[in-house]
Amino acid sequence: MNVKVDKTLVASIALHVLVLGWGLVTFSSKAFIAPEESLPIDIISTDQLAQITAGQKTGKKEEPKPKVEKISDAPPDEDAVGKVTTKKELIKTTSTPEPPPKPAEKPVEKKPEPPKPVAEAKPKEEPKPEEKKPDPAKEDPIAELQKKLETKKPPPKPPQPKVAAVQPQQQPKPKERTFDPAQIQRDLDKRDPTRHELTGSALNASASLGSTTGKAVTNVATWQGAFMSAVRRCFTPTYNGQDADQYEVDIDVSMKIDGSLASEPVVVAARGPSRSIAQAVAESGKRAIVQCQLYSFLPKQQYDTWKTIPMRFGLKDML
Amino acid sequence: MTVSGSALAMLGSGHALAQAQQGRLQINPTEFQPIPIAITNFLPGSPSDGDVGNGVTQVITNNLKRSGLFAPIDQAAFIERINNIDVAPQFQNWKTINAQALVTGRMTRQPDGRLKAEFRLWDVVSGQQLAGQQYFTSPEYWRRIAHIISDQIYERMTGEKGYFDSRVVFVDETGAKERRVKRLAMMDQDGANVRYLTRGSDLVLTPRFSPNSQEITYMEFGQGDPRVYLFNIETGQREIVGNFPGMTFAPRFSPDGQRVIMSLQQGGNSNLFVMDLRSRSTTRLTDTPAIDTSPSYSPDGTRICFESDRGGRSQIYVMAAGGGQAQRISFSKDDTNATYSTPVWSPRGDYIAFTRQGGGQFSIGVMKPDGSGERLLTSGYHNEGPTFSPNGRVVMFFRDPGGNSGPSLFSVDISGRNELKVPTPGFASDPAWSPLLSATPG
Repeated sequence: MNVKVDKTLVASIALHVLVLGWGLVTFSSKAFIAPEESLPIDIISTDQLAQITAGQKTGKKEEPKPKVEKISDAPPDEDAVGKVTTKKELIKTTSTPEPPPKPAEKPVEKKPEPPKPVAEAKPKEEPKPEEKKPDPAKEDPIAELQKKLETKKPPPKPPQPKVAAVQPQQQPKPKERTFDPAQIQRDLDKRDPTRHELTGSALNASASLGSTTGKAVTNVATWQGAFMSAVRRCFTPTYNGQDADQYEVDIDVSMKIDGSLASEPVVVAARGPSRSIAQAVAESGKRAIVQCQLYSFLPKQQYDTWKTIPMRFGLKDML
Repeated sequence: MTVSGSALAMLGSGHALAQAQQGRLQINPTEFQPIPIAITNFLPGSPSDGDVGNGVTQVITNNLKRSGLFAPIDQAAFIERINNIDVAPQFQNWKTINAQALVTGRMTRQPDGRLKAEFRLWDVVSGQQLAGQQYFTSPEYWRRIAHIISDQIYERMTGEKGYFDSRVVFVDETGAKERRVKRLAMMDQDGANVRYLTRGSDLVLTPRFSPNSQEITYMEFGQGDPRVYLFNIETGQREIVGNFPGMTFAPRFSPDGQRVIMSLQQGGNSNLFVMDLRSRSTTRLTDTPAIDTSPSYSPDGTRICFESDRGGRSQIYVMAAGGGQAQRISFSKDDTNATYSTPVWSPRGDYIAFTRQGGGQFSIGVMKPDGSGERLLTSGYHNEGPTFSPNGRVVMFFRDPGGNSGPSLFSVDISGRNELKVPTPGFASDPAWSPLLSATPG
């Protein structure tokens, strides 16, 4: 028996199968997601945030300097002529500038100096021929002599200005623009992109008054809160008598930089009406410190602040 | 570990002073958490000792768990099997299951028929042995050995005396509500070893232990007026306390066991009297046209708390043990119509427990002896008759749900947590906790 097969139907089915198969293979592969490292967090109040971002009260009330990581090379010798010429034009403005914010003023360490004598060699002050004319009211023998000479010599040229840059006559004529792809190629910076250190005349790593990160570097509230929470989780004191508030145990904890204990916690003092209860509190505190390690969340850059952690275990809030 | 003298002496050193000045990270928990503890089966010294070993383990586990201060770890979670208690365990195996302490032990029947019980308590975190004892006893007292070991563990881990080796005397109630039979009964604090002290022919109320736990004083409705009796547990003998013309009730021993304080009804009033058990002489302590009753001594024997309606409603008063001016200490802040009754002074002296009636409910609570710090531990239709455990940590009372049911015994921590029903054969009321039967060695 012959079965007539519709070729278009077969082609359609084959194409659908191909597309669906490709989709299954392509979309079923799981994207690699890097495991996220859990981070201990500490919920802080607005007051604590203000404390963290507050500036240092003892900070110097100086002009804030831009962040500088490297001392720059010595600046080149002043080209007095060029500098004065350029700046003078900028400063001479008739519009009244708005009073800038205070910090913006401070970076300007030097006020514009008065024009230096060289500034007199400006185009507007270039000598005029009239000035060279002798005063007709006076009879100057030298002028008379010069007058005679003038008749023999060509007219004098204007005095040669000292500054070629300001001599309009000597400015090179603008060249006609020509498109040169080779020049563009040469001008391209072919160096690898790099982050350059911020350079300045002096290093400035200290926080200034009112900086948004003023005390963040020295803030220890975050790791302290996390550490106390971790230890409290394993601390299992049981006494809740009326005199519970009189029990206190001081324990010093020596830490390694990886967050483990450098040595067994040391009971420095154990106070309370009953020696046996105070001892039980001390033992419970030691057990909590040892059992709840590793404290790997402690910030390594602040190791100096938690190398030795003095702790006090108390029962004053026990019920 | 011990808080050695040298460690304490360090407080005076410059190092410690410097630390104290620096400021320490303060850890001040607000409530206790149970201590995770692993209790292994006590090994049998011989094959025939297996049952008693398992029994001791069960009693210890039950005691510590019911205290609320310990969280025994399920044995199914144990990684290591203890085969020899004389070898230090692999502590890492017990740290893995988060145990802070480990108990191992062995029960061995001796050639003379006695039972030897040994146990060791280990600090899993430090790997130190905290306690290790052995006891010899007759085989029938194996439960008592288990209670004593429980007290050892409790005391070493918490610093407080235990309360497991103690008894409770109570009124056992059986039969229909209209024809309820009340018998004096005594049991271990965990509900085991119930003994009936009276036959139930006469109504008995308010039993109280003597300090040496050998005698009980109680009130019994006999042929005539209700009278206060003394009952010797060992001999079964009983005698009437004093020879008063009226009804005597609400008796209680003094802390030294030499006196019994009680109420004597005279007309519509009742006053407090104390009787010296050696000389049989009596002394009147109050003389008011009111009902003064339910007296209880402070643990040092210098003061007495009692209830009185001299102010119009029943309230709690405190006065010197020899009588004199009484000071009211119960003042309800939220319900001026509330009444206070059945005061009992804690063995450690810091609290007075009471029954408070107000707002249609009966509550059990505690307050300081000056009346401050009132704290209700439980409330309901009918809660009454508090009594303290020997260490003052737990309060036992009875609760009657009403209807055709009957009362049952409950215990609760003085913080108000860990309320538990105490198993009794039938209905039970009026519990009184004994002192610790054996002074656990410190």
